[in-house]
Amino acid sequence: MKKQLLVLVLLFCLQAPVLRAQTAACIKVEGEVTTPLTLCAEEFAKMKHTEAIMKDRDGKEYRYSGVPVSEILKQAGATVGKDLRGENLSKYLLVKAADGYEVLFSLAELDSTFTDRVVILADQLEGKPLPAGKGPFRIIVPGEKKPARCAFEVTRLIVRFSSEH
Amino acid sequence: MKKALLIGLSILFLFLAFTREQVPAGPYELHYPVYFGNRLNISPANPLTKEGVYLGRKLFYEKRLSINNAVSCGTCHEQQHAFTDAKQFSMGVGKQPTSRNSMSLANLLWVRSFFWDGRATSLEEQGKEPILHADEMGETLEHVSAKLQQTREYPKLFKLVYGNDSITGDRIVQAIAQFERTLISANSPYDQYLQGKYTPTEKEQRGMTLFMTHPDPEKNVRGANCVHCHAAPKMFADLFHNNGLDSLPKDKGREKITGLPNDRGRFRAVSLRNSALTAPYMHDGRFRTLEEVLDHYSEHIQSSTTLSPFLQDASNEPGAKSIRLSAKEKEELIAFLQMLTDSSFITDPRFSDPYKTEIRK
Repeated sequence: MKKQLLVLVLLFCLQAPVLRAQTAACIKVEGEVTTPLTLCAEEFAKMKHTEAIMKDRDGKEYRYSGVPVSEILKQAGATVGKDLRGENLSKYLLVKAADGYEVLFSLAELDSTFTDRVVILADQLEGKPLPAGKGPFRIIVPGEKKPARCAFEVTRLIVRFSSEH
Repeated sequence: MKKALLIGLSILFLFLAFTREQVPAGPYELHYPVYFGNRLNISPANPLTKEGVYLGRKLFYEKRLSINNAVSCGTCHEQQHAFTDAKQFSMGVGKQPTSRNSMSLANLLWVRSFFWDGRATSLEEQGKEPILHADEMGETLEHVSAKLQQTREYPKLFKLVYGNDSITGDRIVQAIAQFERTLISANSPYDQYLQGKYTPTEKEQRGMTLFMTHPDPEKNVRGANCVHCHAAPKMFADLFHNNGLDSLPKDKGREKITGLPNDRGRFRAVSLRNSALTAPYMHDGRFRTLEEVLDHYSEHIQSSTTLSPFLQDASNEPGAKSIRLSAKEKEELIAFLQMLTDSSFITDPRFSDPYKTEIRK
């Protein structure tokens, strides 16, 4: 009996970290980066935030708050700022969402040395966490005519080289 | 004397030509419309060859893949139903039916997640499951390989495809995957329309417009917005959404794979090509007709925390929870869905059961 209990406890202990890892709200930054990152909600909330306004399908403007994608890429060691030149201009960022949706940005589109537009990875809408189905992280691209690149439930940011020969 | 020998040899040659089926060989060339794009899901280790596709077709219809030698892939994926089986759930070798509805196999070349919950990322990975599942074929890969190794035909074919006659589970699923990648459906009236060879009727045209349009009652724009997930022109997307079938889904769908609560009740947005042939509908085959499917989206969307955001904010009536289509609009949408039926796909001899053809001979 005791032995069975021990096995059960052991099994639970082994399972627990796996379950936590699966259910935690985190994003991964990977690909052509020197430091692949896993950023979870708590840690993300402590990063320096910026606001961005996005016009949604209903035509109304909404105020989001989050971290500039360029900052996240910088932390991961992607080629941004002064390093974004030469062959690095053929790199792109693929944003993957939990529902399978994918959108793409060229690195230059996200970089403050190229543009004043600040694309953010938002974790707040009008001062509150994002609603179910859209959070915990959403890409916000201000000034676009369609919200189609503002992907919901972002789970991965992947930097790659264009593979065209 | 020489002449007699020549005639004799010619007769022998003709006899051999007619009695022995020639196995085609060489790289297999895929043909598909440019508008499908070239984002193909082909495993680099398993390039398509004519001999591989030939073997794959035989194996797809091979009943020895099942423990009682009575069920093949083709049993639950019949060509006449666009490779589904017209049943809510399928019966394999066991006493239990399958837990989900048999899926169409058209245009898998572009699919990146297989099964209703997307748990396999390649056809090679997907193909093993039905062979092993107790309610489908109930076999082991070792036993199937041993059974095929004892036949006269298969070791020769495996040698032709793989260089030696060793039959393994990996080789079996690789060949089946090659055959399945050739199941391209691209000759429906909708394709002919896209290629400028067919003019839709007014009803079809109105259905197409509804299919492609997001409803906006404030601007008086009517729409069904099907295209948001069933993306044109392939009519599917590698997306997982909860389409509001139940507020408490009995089958948790993708959540079972990812362990994430926000994946509850999410399933793949499958292709609508040939959907007039693939009834019943949904992962649990709950709807018998396309009319019932449209009634669901039009009037019966069930709210839950994981309901697709695209179904939450989409209606032709301000504030309504479902899309709200008129009876006429539903008929128009069905006319458009019928434009996606590819009759040449379901009669193409390249995809048919070779064993049936042989019997007919």
